[in-house]
Amino acid sequence: MIASKQARLGDAATYALLTLLGLFFVAPFMWLFSLSIRTPAEVFLGASRFIPEAPTLANFQGILSDPAFLTYLWNGLKLSVLGGGLAVTLAIPAAYSFSRLRWRGMSALLVAILAVQMISPLVLLVPLYQWLSALDLLNTQLTVIAIYGALGMPLAVWLLKVAFDAIPVEIEEAAHVDGATRWTVLIKLTLPLARPGIASAFILAVVMNWSQFLVPFILLERDSDWPISVAIFNFAGSTSASTTQVLAAACLIALIPAVTVFVLLQRMIVSALISGAVKG
Amino acid sequence: MTGFQKKTKRFGSRDPLPWLAPALLVLAAFYAVPVLDVVRLAFSDATLFRPPSSYSLNSFVDVLTSSVLPDVLITTLVFTGLSVIALQCVGLTIALLLVRGERRHLPGMASFRTLVLAAWVVPGIANGLIWQMLFDEAPYGTLNSLLGSVGLGPIAWLSDPTMAMLSAVIANVWQGTAFSMIVFYAARKGVDEALYEVASVDGANGWDKFWAITVPQLRLAIAANSILVAVQTLNTFDSILALTGGGPGRATEVLALFTFNTVFYNLDLSGGSVLALVLFALGLGFATLVFGWLRRDST
Repeated sequence: MIASKQARLGDAATYALLTLLGLFFVAPFMWLFSLSIRTPAEVFLGASRFIPEAPTLANFQGILSDPAFLTYLWNGLKLSVLGGGLAVTLAIPAAYSFSRLRWRGMSALLVAILAVQMISPLVLLVPLYQWLSALDLLNTQLTVIAIYGALGMPLAVWLLKVAFDAIPVEIEEAAHVDGATRWTVLIKLTLPLARPGIASAFILAVVMNWSQFLVPFILLERDSDWPISVAIFNFAGSTSASTTQVLAAACLIALIPAVTVFVLLQRMIVSALISGAVKG
Repeated sequence: MTGFQKKTKRFGSRDPLPWLAPALLVLAAFYAVPVLDVVRLAFSDATLFRPPSSYSLNSFVDVLTSSVLPDVLITTLVFTGLSVIALQCVGLTIALLLVRGERRHLPGMASFRTLVLAAWVVPGIANGLIWQMLFDEAPYGTLNSLLGSVGLGPIAWLSDPTMAMLSAVIANVWQGTAFSMIVFYAARKGVDEALYEVASVDGANGWDKFWAITVPQLRLAIAANSILVAVQTLNTFDSILALTGGGPGRATEVLALFTFNTVFYNLDLSGGSVLALVLFALGLGFATLVFGWLRRDST
């Protein structure tokens, strides 16, 4: 009886703390939304009204009917998806050999792959910029995609290794007895079985690319090449107090795709991350 | 010979090289060679648009004796230190609350986790811009008008150097907590529940159990997470760039942002390379420190 009373007190404390923390995490989203549906006049009312007197979708309409903005969204999507796809493609054979073959130096290379993720993209871009400039590869989206592939590969290798580890070797051996080569087995059998892991690695890479600012900001000069992250930064530099509501709407549009994908698929992604964290 | 080795031998070639070739090429071209090239450039006189013509220690001397560097390093240490402590405290608190809530079958735990994760995937630039709107110091600024309505404030969130630093940390914690939350959640799930049951039988309260079981059991996770979070924070600069631009003055100009400005605004490639090495060394140094502490602790 005493124990259950204590437990219920504990429940109340749990909720009290989570509510406080929840406020901190939810407030910026709510406020951004509130600002984005205001008229310029109502922005100046500040926090006195959360839901504006005359909510308006004009800010969103304005942005989404601007062809330049749609181009930024499309660029963001294109760079993120292709970069994420490249990262996973590069990672698959390496992850497979980490999972299925035993060779000297394997654990050292795995640690190295984990360690390179700690190198700031900024450190890498300092020399890369010069080479790319010498090779005349600046201002092309392909270069950005290649760099996204390289930046996303290490995490993908780890996640895919964990995914492959979870598939019993015996299944592959059965196929091998039937005369299939490792490549055939990988493509026909292992990859389809590892679909959830591959999807998680891909989506994580895409979401990270969507957030990338430094790489496209430095490598892409033409504004028709920019992804949304670079565009809103430049847009913010040109706005004033009277356009806060437009900037809020633009920020909201920039974060909605990443947040939506992540929220819908979080169960799968988080369990992939957790098993990666436990193994690593 | 173990059964597993027999099996792998039976099953095709064991040569890993063809499998590893793409990954190794990427590691070489995009990581190893650039890092080596940063070292070379640090000894050179290169600018962003002029390749090196001679090699010397001049850039090292210039950068390391510049009057700005100490300020930048202090800013970096304060920002990283505060962020790492806050991120881990908040992340650990949330992870433990979630585990407790799930054990008690309390509703709402999954949605709370989702909320924290949602902040994690907000692009860094958008994060800076969102908090800039919240911290807006105009009378109609969000937080100040809220404080004003209860007779407090206004607070100089972004124009006072100390507050600006705190504001940058707050924005960073809002976005970064999810990572620590996942790590600690996974680690806490791995702790044997029997330990807690035995402690309960012995009459330990929640606080005792936290210090006697949770913290020691999560030691490894805390150490590993400190390194990862510290390095992530050291490398963060897009949210600061959007939030304060490094200001007021240099109050929030962390090393990563300073390096970025040196290379891409001052076009000083060799000086920026020296700074990039300092950035690299800071992360490496911290990781070595924590590993050393772990090793000493476990013997």
